[in-house]
Amino acid sequence: MSDIEQQVYSAIASVADNKTARIGPDTELIGEGRLFDSMKLVELCLALEDLGGDLGFDFDWTSDAAMSRSASMFRTAGALAAEFIGQMQRAA
Amino acid sequence: MILVTGASRGLGRAICERLVARGDSVVGLARKVAGLPFPALECDVADAVQVRAAAKRLRADEFQAGPRHALVNAAGIASMNLALTTPAGVARRIVETNLLGTIHCCQQFGPLLIRHKPARIINFSTIAVALGLKGESVYAASKAGVESFTRVFAREMADFDVTVNCIAPGPIATDLIRGVPKQQIDAVVAQQVIPRQFSPDAVCDLVELLLSPLARSISGEVLHVGGA
Repeated sequence: MSDIEQQVYSAIASVADNKTARIGPDTELIGEGRLFDSMKLVELCLALEDLGGDLGFDFDWTSDAAMSRSASMFRTAGALAAEFIGQMQRAA
Repeated sequence: MILVTGASRGLGRAICERLVARGDSVVGLARKVAGLPFPALECDVADAVQVRAAAKRLRADEFQAGPRHALVNAAGIASMNLALTTPAGVARRIVETNLLGTIHCCQQFGPLLIRHKPARIINFSTIAVALGLKGESVYAASKAGVESFTRVFAREMADFDVTVNCIAPGPIATDLIRGVPKQQIDAVVAQQVIPRQFSPDAVCDLVELLLSPLARSISGEVLHVGGA
């Protein structure tokens, strides 16, 4: 697991109500068995915006392109980490 | 920071000037900002890409300035005409500016407000919605959308300590109603609960009321200037 992926999981864990939940690539964020409601999802996006800022890029979750990917992006923690890392690499 | 759209003229301009005079940190958004006596960004709210760019710039420009944080969506256009004689392009532009412009700004600036809660969003409707004014069908339809959006968005933002309300003025003497015959204005004013034409100051008073901590329990409401 990369350091960035771990940081995304840490952000997920910090926002989650269930602090004991173990976050891994297959952790479901939305849908059945979800970790987040819609409010928590927004808080998570803000946390990832901060993390992106710390890493020197803008994590985009409000553009048309990002929103159209949101259903898949927020499916699991692994999918979100992959999107985050993909955006970071494209910005580099 | 208080962000005001439609800042170059009309109610938006009056609101900016009032807030600046009170010492608030204000940034105006308008299609043309040259010569404005307060900080402003050029932005057509009907264009989601431009609104997103403005939000990104404000993030970098430290939105946290000032003690109060709010978005005032005062940008709006009107075309007093029967629906049957309103060109499709005009109808589209009215909806894009009044309704979609409000939605774009709420979507893009909402996250900034959440970061600086408690915060306020004030949208703008019109008395034409409540009164169903003849000759304003497209304009009223766009603003009815704003009212509906306000009510629902208020619920969505409540958990984030952001209130969302709507001010619905009657005929206020601004550029928006320039050219509307006095007789027609008087007929609308006569239908208000308080049958008197109000000035932009009355609208600014309501903005200040909604920005005040005293209004923390008010959300999802439409306030009619003069009553309707």
